[in-house]
Amino acid sequence: MSSEIKNIPPVAIEKPKFKVWNGARAIAEAVKVADVDVISAYPIRPYTGIMNALASMIANGEFIADVVIADSEHSQFEIVKHASAVGARTFVGSSGVGLAYAAEAIIVTALSQLPVVGAIGTRALDDPGNFGMEWSDVLMFRDYGWLISWAKTVQEAHDMTLVAYRVAEDKRVLLPHFVVLDGAALTHVATPIVPVTKEQATDFLPPYKPPYRIDPIDGPVTKAQHIAPSLIGPEQRKLVDVATKRAKEVIVEAWKDFATYTGREYPPFIEAIGMEDADFALIGMGAYMKDIEIVAKRMREKGVKIGTIRLRYVRPFPAEDLLRVIDGVKAAGVIEFGYSFGSPFGTGSLYHEIATSLYETNTRPELLDFLFLGGREPKVEHFMKAAEMIIESVHKKPQKKAYWLTLRGEDI
Amino acid sequence: MIMQSEFKSLREIPPIDYYTAGRRTCAGCGPAIGYRLISKAAGPNTIFIGPTGCMYVANAHQFLTSPYSVPWHHTQLGGGGAAAIGIASALRTLMLKGKRKPEDINVIVMGGDGAMADIGLSGLSMGLSYDYQRLLYIVYDNEGYMNTGVQASSTTPWGATTTFTPSGKVKPLGNTRYKKNVALIAASHPNVKYVATATLWPPLDLMNKVVRALNSGGPSVIHALFPCPKGWFTSPADTVMLSKLAVETGMWVLWELIEGQFKLNYRPNPRKHVREYLSLQGRFRHLKDEDIDKMDKMIEEEWFYWNESAKQEKLILPY
Ligand SMILES: Cc1ncc(C[n+]2csc(CCOP(=O)(O)OP(=O)(O)O)c2C)c(N)n1
Ligand code: SF4
Repeated sequence: MSSEIKNIPPVAIEKPKFKVWNGARAIAEAVKVADVDVISAYPIRPYTGIMNALASMIANGEFIADVVIADSEHSQFEIVKHASAVGARTFVGSSGVGLAYAAEAIIVTALSQLPVVGAIGTRALDDPGNFGMEWSDVLMFRDYGWLISWAKTVQEAHDMTLVAYRVAEDKRVLLPHFVVLDGAALTHVATPIVPVTKEQATDFLPPYKPPYRIDPIDGPVTKAQHIAPSLIGPEQRKLVDVATKRAKEVIVEAWKDFATYTGREYPPFIEAIGMEDADFALIGMGAYMKDIEIVAKRMREKGVKIGTIRLRYVRPFPAEDLLRVIDGVKAAGVIEFGYSFGSPFGTGSLYHEIATSLYETNTRPELLDFLFLGGREPKVEHFMKAAEMIIESVHKKPQKKAYWLTLRGEDI
Repeated sequence: MIMQSEFKSLREIPPIDYYTAGRRTCAGCGPAIGYRLISKAAGPNTIFIGPTGCMYVANAHQFLTSPYSVPWHHTQLGGGGAAAIGIASALRTLMLKGKRKPEDINVIVMGGDGAMADIGLSGLSMGLSYDYQRLLYIVYDNEGYMNTGVQASSTTPWGATTTFTPSGKVKPLGNTRYKKNVALIAASHPNVKYVATATLWPPLDLMNKVVRALNSGGPSVIHALFPCPKGWFTSPADTVMLSKLAVETGMWVLWELIEGQFKLNYRPNPRKHVREYLSLQGRFRHLKDEDIDKMDKMIEEEWFYWNESAKQEKLILPY
């Protein structure tokens, strides 16, 4: 893929031009410079703003794309899946129950290896009408071959969208990709950002060329036929598995190239702050990491050797990178907004991923889980409390693994 | 590409097939015969979409062979409406942006009654609200969920037995719901250019309707009754004859709506008694004489409206 890249600009980057955009607008602007062809929309908070922004850009002739207003999320994801099979670059998105409604179409997109890119504004799965922020909607699709990256800032959400197309469409990968923004916290919060220019995007992102198009020009291709479990069942699964594994090197490569074109550097998988000599770590993802990093900084000022670990991807899960940065830590806490009822020790979805990774180390740190469920917003004090609890866990073995810090009443 | 014009006689039908060997449908499968005629009429510049159902499972099947010599893509059971829109949208946008050579390409969904009249009705309706050209939805109606072993759908006729509507001691009738008229639903979309009903007989009627639908300038629907020997408990040899009898008994009405103008394609005169059609089918074997007479009377009443629609050249709802 890198051989196709041309026009590497001189290192001197022009003075950045800032724009004040919220997460929704920032994603839409990335879709615009990515020259997406087919977009499919259906409203659900909090992701809808992305589609609103795109619709108005297209109505005003800022770029050419077809926005298909679907009758449901199921149709929405089927539309982009098939447009992608024909060779169009596509964009889609949803939140909460919208994703649940589209589950079938979402799952088969990865198994057909179609590089659709979707944005998710995270939202609680309704227990009637919960608008709050939870991760359960995204994590429901952890297991089906979608690549999933998680933004911390509006700038990162914007940049991640372009990188998502680059990774998804790479011939070594060909998998769909979700870019995740925490609902409200990123979708609706405006900050100044430096946009990727059209020129940068064109150079960074080669045109999408699917290997087997559904188009009479390419002759008869029969796609997604009935699978005989005995004949190619496991082999078909293996193809997707290999693609998710290969995605790791492609992701590293893509972020490196992205830095060359834009001057903005990101660690590909894990952002570790203050971890070099850390005894303690707070681990999480997404927009609230900004607050968590402030908490860690304040505690550092008081002499506590604490750092933060932020996962930028949950699929593929960067276990090796995690083990590298967490090495030597005595106790760590996972801060998360996703849960699995009836799970081992009542722990959350992200905890399971991290605990599984840590099982491979000889010096397993004490690992606690801090759960923020049902959409109630956490405060900095909650993260502070989490930090205090992991520090204390080294002296006194904790009674439980998981704590619901925003819960009113007894946490039994 | 030159647009296919209508076929004037059976001799004009091209010898080439785009739905070929390599399928494993039942002997005498109506939808398979229909597929062959439809794909002949549409020609090589066609993309077919197959929602889950017999025309997927028994065609692009597990032995890794494919009967389609044109591009074909599966879609989920309820995805027919949306998949076609995705493909049509992609083609149009890529051509508009100069990313693909401009050309007329047919997009045809071959969806069963379960796929299009039940789980995918909303998607079908969405598709009909757009203006993509050369987009044709075929609702191949074998009057049940056949691939899963003959269950009732909303187009299963009144009085038919299926595995979900058996005839029993307390409930002798079988299916107690009335058949949904998908073509009438399609006709209620202001953007739909062409709506027709068809069956395997007369074959030129079906093929020319495909040609007219594709050339109509917008999304179109053909609701086609295709007999299913497995689900109807009929002889494989009778499939085409059953199509003919369905028309001659008035049970299946051949009509088309061209930009809002109604046309009755066949008026059975004299109309045969529905018994002739029902008696060949195991799924109606349990019906009593009074049930069959009731059915014949229902047909008679309905036909008043078809005749009236034909006279006024516009659709008048029969229900
Ligand atoms: C969402 C979903 N529900 C149920 C099924 C099971 N299923 C497979 S084929 C089929 C029958 C479809 O019936 P129809 O569309 O009438 O086509 P036919 O089999 O009669 O040709 C069903 C229900 C499925 N594949 N997907
Ligand atoms: S069950 Fe009916 S529709 Fe399905 S393959 Fe057999 S005859 Fe054809």
